[in-house]
Amino acid sequence: MAESLEEDYTYSGDDDDDDDDADPNDYYGDECMEEDQEPVDEREPDPEYFEYKCLTVSEAKTFLQRQVEELCSKLKVDKRSALVLLMSHGWLIAELENRTEQDISNLLIEKGVLARHVPQAKRSVCGTSCSVCLQRKPRDEMKALLCSHFFCKDCWCKQFEVLINNGIASDLQCMAIDCHIGAPEDFVLSFLHVETIRKKYDKFIFRDYIKSHYNLRFCPGTDCTMVAQADKPQSKRVDCSKCKTSFCFNCCGAYHAPTDCETVKKWLMKCADDSETANYISANTKDCPKCHACIEKNGGCNHMQCSRCKHDFCWVCMGDWKFHGTEYYECSRYKEKPDIVNECAQVKAREALKKYLFYHGRWENHARSLELEAVTLGNINKRIQEKVMKNEGTWIDWQYLLDAAALLAKCRYSLQYTYPYAYYLESGPRKKLFEYQQAQLEAEIENLSWKIERAEKYQRGDLQNQMNVAEKRRQTLFKDFFPT
Amino acid sequence: MFRNHLARETDSPYQGGVFSLNINFPTDYPFKPPKVSFTTKIYHPNINTNGSICLDILRAQWSPALTISKVLLSICSLLTDPNPDDPLVPEIARIYKTDRARYNKLALEWTRKYAAGDGGN
Repeated sequence: MAESLEEDYTYSGDDDDDDDDADPNDYYGDECMEEDQEPVDEREPDPEYFEYKCLTVSEAKTFLQRQVEELCSKLKVDKRSALVLLMSHGWLIAELENRTEQDISNLLIEKGVLARHVPQAKRSVCGTSCSVCLQRKPRDEMKALLCSHFFCKDCWCKQFEVLINNGIASDLQCMAIDCHIGAPEDFVLSFLHVETIRKKYDKFIFRDYIKSHYNLRFCPGTDCTMVAQADKPQSKRVDCSKCKTSFCFNCCGAYHAPTDCETVKKWLMKCADDSETANYISANTKDCPKCHACIEKNGGCNHMQCSRCKHDFCWVCMGDWKFHGTEYYECSRYKEKPDIVNECAQVKAREALKKYLFYHGRWENHARSLELEAVTLGNINKRIQEKVMKNEGTWIDWQYLLDAAALLAKCRYSLQYTYPYAYYLESGPRKKLFEYQQAQLEAEIENLSWKIERAEKYQRGDLQNQMNVAEKRRQTLFKDFFPT
Repeated sequence: MFRNHLARETDSPYQGGVFSLNINFPTDYPFKPPKVSFTTKIYHPNINTNGSICLDILRAQWSPALTISKVLLSICSLLTDPNPDDPLVPEIARIYKTDRARYNKLALEWTRKYAAGDGGN
């Protein structure tokens, strides 16, 4: 087998006239598959193209810092005010820079950065008793924000610790009743002495910044701290440069083109909610032929009596039990399905279930295929290793197999996500077109998968041709149904 | 845990009723709000059959400077002024908004039945 593969590659250029793709000249070139690929033009309107950057935590912090400074100089406000303004406006500087001074100061009052009216210092009136712990404290232990609500150090510290442990960081506030003056970072930090809490606070503050930012997103990969940045946030694919997770920039879920964020969310929720129940219902229950109540069989006997309408029937053929009597085995003979009134609600529910199971089955199936093809990829790697060891071509010579496997995974992933799209698509010409293209894509993907699994029997050109066809189908579908 | 009795005096369908409350203090009190619930059944749009109370100062608006007496005062004013726009029991809120006479009648019936002062609460 190993030999045949090598032969295919070496000789294909000479002995195969109608398939000139594997000509050595085409090795690095893009001339192959003229009939499938018009080079340069094709790339331009790629509906999946998306410009983004992956930032490390410190790069992201620098980026945020720069934005804060920019707003500081534009509005002539201090850093703390700029930060709060930015966080409440999704970090859209453009939305803030043209506001009037009055407008800005109103905003700052609303956000608890400035006090509405500068209150009189109440310290002398209250004495030095902290109104939270009700203990008398030395004067220098009493601290307050600009609202002059004084509390003792210990209470501030405890309050911040409790709230930070609950995940609250950027909106820590004064402890007084109905006072919404915010606590700036340095104020909070001056009370936090435990290292773990300080770290937590730092982490949550950073999280709040990113979460409020219109063009920054956390990589959803496990334990990954990278931050993706895109100038124009869209529901497009981001591949994390560190952990390689691909996700949708808009919703941060698994990449889901051509389905949109809303739909895929609905679909995943439906799958999580219904799948098990639905599978069980369809596998273990039938509707009573008379009243259409859903019935679960809980014993071995096939003589059923509906507990609702008391109808006696046979579980196997769903026919009336009366006629079974002596001729029980009659029902093992194949007969046309007895007429059932199709309008009843239960029948409709079952129909809806059938539709869902149809799409869900295919969705699951492609997910499984993806897993299996990952195994195939492992095998390909092993085979290449062997061949290179046996001096049958270099690593580069076999690279195309890996490319094929990668392309297959990409196409199948897209195909998997066409099913939720189709499920929610309303019937009509658009759905017909979608299903047509989906079927075409599916056929080509299966062809590609077949050929990759039997790479030894197919020529390199053949495989590459198949790759191009599959990718082309995918792109056609995306161009028509995935908004740019 | 405290048990507390609220005796109503003002002009409302809960007038004269004696309502018992459970107050649970979390270990982080007063930095976390106390958990307050009714143990006497009450017909009210912001209090459900478990006795849970929907009151902002017991959740997001809690302040460590609040005291139990202030909380009880707030609960009293919640009884006289229900907040049907943020209901815990939507059905009662609907009746409160559309048919005030029926609401008053039902609330009064519940008060007489479950919160009679001499009922040994």
